[in-house]
Amino acid sequence: MAISILPPSLPAPRRHAPSDTSDHDMSDGEISGNEEFSHSTTTESIVTPGETITSDTQWMRGHGTYIPANSSTIISTVAGTLHKTNKLLSVQALRARYQPEIGDLVIGRIVSVQTKKWSVDIAAPMLASLPLSAINLPGGILRRRTAVDELNIRTFFSEGDLLVAEVQSLHQDNTASLHTRSLKYGKLRNGLFTSLTGAGGGILSRRGGVVRSRRQVFTLNTAAGEIDVVLGVNGYIWVSKHVETKGEKDAGITKLEETVSETLYSSQNEDLEPGVLKEITRVSTLIKGMVACGTRVDEDMIVRVYEGAIEMQAEEESLGGVEKGIGAKGIVEAVLARLALDG
Amino acid sequence: MPLDTSSYSLALLRLDGRRWNELRRIHAQISTQAAADGSSYLEMGNTKVLCTVTGPAEGRQTGQRGGKDNEAKVEVEIGFAGFSGVERRKRRNDKRTSEMQHTLSTAYSTLLLTHLYPHSTITIRLHILSQDGSLLASCINASTLALIDAGVPMTDYLVACTAASSSTSSESESEISDPLLDLNGLEEQELPFLTVATLGKSERVSVLLMESRVRMERVEGMLAVGIEGCKRIREILDGVVKGYGKRYA
Repeated sequence: MAISILPPSLPAPRRHAPSDTSDHDMSDGEISGNEEFSHSTTTESIVTPGETITSDTQWMRGHGTYIPANSSTIISTVAGTLHKTNKLLSVQALRARYQPEIGDLVIGRIVSVQTKKWSVDIAAPMLASLPLSAINLPGGILRRRTAVDELNIRTFFSEGDLLVAEVQSLHQDNTASLHTRSLKYGKLRNGLFTSLTGAGGGILSRRGGVVRSRRQVFTLNTAAGEIDVVLGVNGYIWVSKHVETKGEKDAGITKLEETVSETLYSSQNEDLEPGVLKEITRVSTLIKGMVACGTRVDEDMIVRVYEGAIEMQAEEESLGGVEKGIGAKGIVEAVLARLALDG
Repeated sequence: MPLDTSSYSLALLRLDGRRWNELRRIHAQISTQAAADGSSYLEMGNTKVLCTVTGPAEGRQTGQRGGKDNEAKVEVEIGFAGFSGVERRKRRNDKRTSEMQHTLSTAYSTLLLTHLYPHSTITIRLHILSQDGSLLASCINASTLALIDAGVPMTDYLVACTAASSSTSSESESEISDPLLDLNGLEEQELPFLTVATLGKSERVSVLLMESRVRMERVEGMLAVGIEGCKRIREILDGVVKGYGKRYA
């Protein structure tokens, strides 16, 4: 039975509901997680679910594809770009939740406290767990946990606390297990938390975003003092005042542990000068703007954009009147345009 | 009587001036909400639906471990805006609503590759902003777009549309009746109709729902028209996704 279906007639002129071509910065952020395909070929067009990629049996199927029962055609399951790595075909979704991988530096928030572990939101499909045995316990030397530590579990981290950690292992159901057994990791304070993509902090393979395997913790020099920036690969960003660790010049690792342990699990913010607060907000807003513009987010880029923005503000102030209301995206665009001019 | 059957047989034009095999205007957008994992906005004629997808994420109640057999659970919530219908009334725990939720949830549990996200929950929230027929079909199409935006793997698009038989069952069987495609609200009240959802380009029916009485021999024609309509809608939705992807690729 041959049936022809007529397409809908031409649309009436629209009064509301912005059209498809309109500015799309409502989704204000995305991060690219994977650089590992940089050496592979990437096709320009995107594939959509149900689209046949190939029926050639020489290819292997990777992420984002499936092979229906009793057939050999590889079919895409997500909308995204096709990547070929040797004989492996994979489709990377335009937008998806963060999938933890071992070694990832992530920023998380404690959701619940259990008897021997914490549940941490790291924007992955499942909450990650942070066992009591995987944190640095206070009291000088590296020691085993005791029953007293178990009872005092809330003195280390309690609900709502932010922390920076590393993914130690993945369970069978892709649940991540974290650890903070390094002085680089631990509780976060004196700063501002930002999620780059609303809820979830989805990792997006569009151009731009936090680059994995680059330096993700660095210090920025500003007029008001030094500022620490932590870029979590899960799309959570932490910008805070740089605190000199007192024991940094002292000799001996045990001594270092001792001096640090007093402040390690403190939830009390230090006094922050207005100037520092202003710079923290500026850096965090600029990072958001960079993501909205689709540029990559790494140390080099942040430093350049930050310095460009400061310069631009100084120039505009000397000319009288700072342009207002263009938003984070507008400012970053202006800075990037200047950087491109300078070469 | 909304559909004047006598005038239809003369001019073969429906109330809103469409032919029997003509779809209403479809307007769709994806990634409309920044705070959601995936979102979409869909208009089929005057039916307007907003959909947001959360997840795959940990379920709301801790200890509740997602779906069974190491699969993700699909939850559906449908909310009707007070101004969506002709008359303003409260719909809470409506049986019709919970049936729609169940239909969507079972359809998507089989469509999505839920085994990739064990123990997690995927929540689809639908907001009906305006109702004018083909409500379930619009909900299915909007959810498909939002799930694609959320990057949840699925075997194919799930697209739906409605089809009706243009004569009421009381009439004589000798009369020739055309099947009608994509009903609006008035036609839905008057005519026996069914909602059919298929998997993408294939003719595999995933959802089939009919709540009215119709002569058995007319069902085949209605179904055939509905399936062809789904194919057409898939092309339109695919165009939306591709157009969106092009801007970011």
